[in-house]
Amino acid sequence: MTINQTHRNLSVEIGRLRLRNPVMTASGTFGYGEEYGPYVDLSRLGAIVVKGLSLKPRMGNPPPRIVETPCGMLNAVGLQNVGVDAFIRENLPFLTQFDLPVIANIFGESVEEYVKVAEILSQASGVHALEVNISCPNVKKGGIAFGANPDMAADVTRRVKASTDLPVIVKLTPNVTDIAEIAESVEAAGADAISLINTITGMSVDIERRVPHLRNITGGLSGPAIKPVALRMVWQVIQRVSVPVIGLGGIMTARDALEFLIVGARAVQVGTAHFIHPHAAIDILKGIEDYLEQHQFDDINQLIGTLKPGGETC
Amino acid sequence: MNKKRVLWVGKVLSNREMMKGYLLMSVRLPRTFDAPLPGQFVMIHLRDRKDILLGRPFSIYGIQYHKSRVILEIFYRVVGEGTYSLSLLKRGTEVEILGPLGRPFEVNRRIKNIVLVAGGLGIAPIRFLLEYLKKGISEFQPRIRFYMGAKTAGELVELDRLEPLCEDINVCTDDCSMGYHGFVTEPLEKDLKSFPIADTMIYACGPAAMIRRLAGLLEDHPVPCQVSMEERMACGLGACLGCAIAVKGQNGGRQYKRVCKDGPVFDIRDILWDEASKEE
Repeated sequence: MTINQTHRNLSVEIGRLRLRNPVMTASGTFGYGEEYGPYVDLSRLGAIVVKGLSLKPRMGNPPPRIVETPCGMLNAVGLQNVGVDAFIRENLPFLTQFDLPVIANIFGESVEEYVKVAEILSQASGVHALEVNISCPNVKKGGIAFGANPDMAADVTRRVKASTDLPVIVKLTPNVTDIAEIAESVEAAGADAISLINTITGMSVDIERRVPHLRNITGGLSGPAIKPVALRMVWQVIQRVSVPVIGLGGIMTARDALEFLIVGARAVQVGTAHFIHPHAAIDILKGIEDYLEQHQFDDINQLIGTLKPGGETC
Repeated sequence: MNKKRVLWVGKVLSNREMMKGYLLMSVRLPRTFDAPLPGQFVMIHLRDRKDILLGRPFSIYGIQYHKSRVILEIFYRVVGEGTYSLSLLKRGTEVEILGPLGRPFEVNRRIKNIVLVAGGLGIAPIRFLLEYLKKGISEFQPRIRFYMGAKTAGELVELDRLEPLCEDINVCTDDCSMGYHGFVTEPLEKDLKSFPIADTMIYACGPAAMIRRLAGLLEDHPVPCQVSMEERMACGLGACLGCAIAVKGQNGGRQYKRVCKDGPVFDIRDILWDEASKEE
């Protein structure tokens, strides 16, 4: 696969974290990498963000956990995961075989749990950054409760930051009135980067049985349906913070990813698209390379944040 | 780096309605498509429908190998938007196929008695298994008894294709339109007493209510039983954790397994019914 690599610079910097290209996998959509390893050349990814990790294993929510909605899907998996210790012991060694930055997404029901998980991962070798999930809509405690309040978001960020030397990315929820306010708050608290958006809370009803499609009643909407909302929020946040922003939400194609980059996202995460095409992130990367070639950019950083004022008027 | 191929483009060869709402689709695939085993499934993704995002999982009903191509068959029922759109596909349409996926039925060649139990569309993986047992491995000739249930005789559309493969088919219908009037588990219960436990394997697929009745029946008969389960899926590869099924965990606890990756074939005695039966 090395024959078609261009001489163009695709590498981007997220604080101290240098990525060979700006396309990563979104947490919860790519497992711990092993699920896709047989089919996808993982060393081509910009980074992998693993499924959210908590201190103890979590069983997750009862099924049904997913339902498709027009141009999207709702999920209420409920952060099922093996727990941070099992991850380090059983899943991380697989990932460290590859030349691939590993970003561990972390979750806690309390600030103390976030800190503890961050400390444990900081001791492990092979983790390159933490993504702090203060935005999961599908668990009763923690998650979104932290992400919806600027002071609580800042508190988690500050405490996690103090507990680790790893770069800290804070992942925001769109289920708030003013996402830029939350973004400013976590930046002030020391976040090295911000990723957004997590899923948008939604619901779907089976009219024959008159029951919610999801056992959890509500779930998080992802997929192309949310892309315009995600893009608008990424754009809003970029106006207000100076730390790097990672854009995600409904990115299915290179065109989608390019919109986020032009708006100013330093990198993108590909999520739900992997459920349809296992190699979606790689396809998107190829599409970005083609665009750079067609538009004669030598360096992707020349493209990032080049949104011009005004709409399509001519 | 050489990676295994899992995503294929197939061409619809036929997509026939066998009875109202039940269709049999054949899809042509390249010869390099991995040979599937009975119990495995594919995800079929409609290429031209941007609003229908996810693939839909289907048990493999049959497969035929030709010199330069493979013909994959699925038997399905229209239950929602996805399957409705699938039912409209014309000959020549391209679809994306992810697969073959999942853990197949385990076949132990020393087993002398094989019992197949299928209800409704559960016939799909069971038919493939029957064909595999009869044609795939010629030196292995177990005695096969087939218990096949349906709401009505009309649902047994492919019976004529099954009869040459098995002499011992026990048909049961809910409405008395054919064979035994009642659930498949009823004639099975009578026959179970005569099966040598150590030498018998039951393979089953069907609606949750049927599987649950079978599980109840097997509480008194310690015959091993593998069952193919279903759940809504997104990725089919074990990553999204959408297709969770509650099974017995270690120390008598419960845990969720993935139907797509840990299954779809499970030991019937591992399934916890408080949640698995929710759809009934």
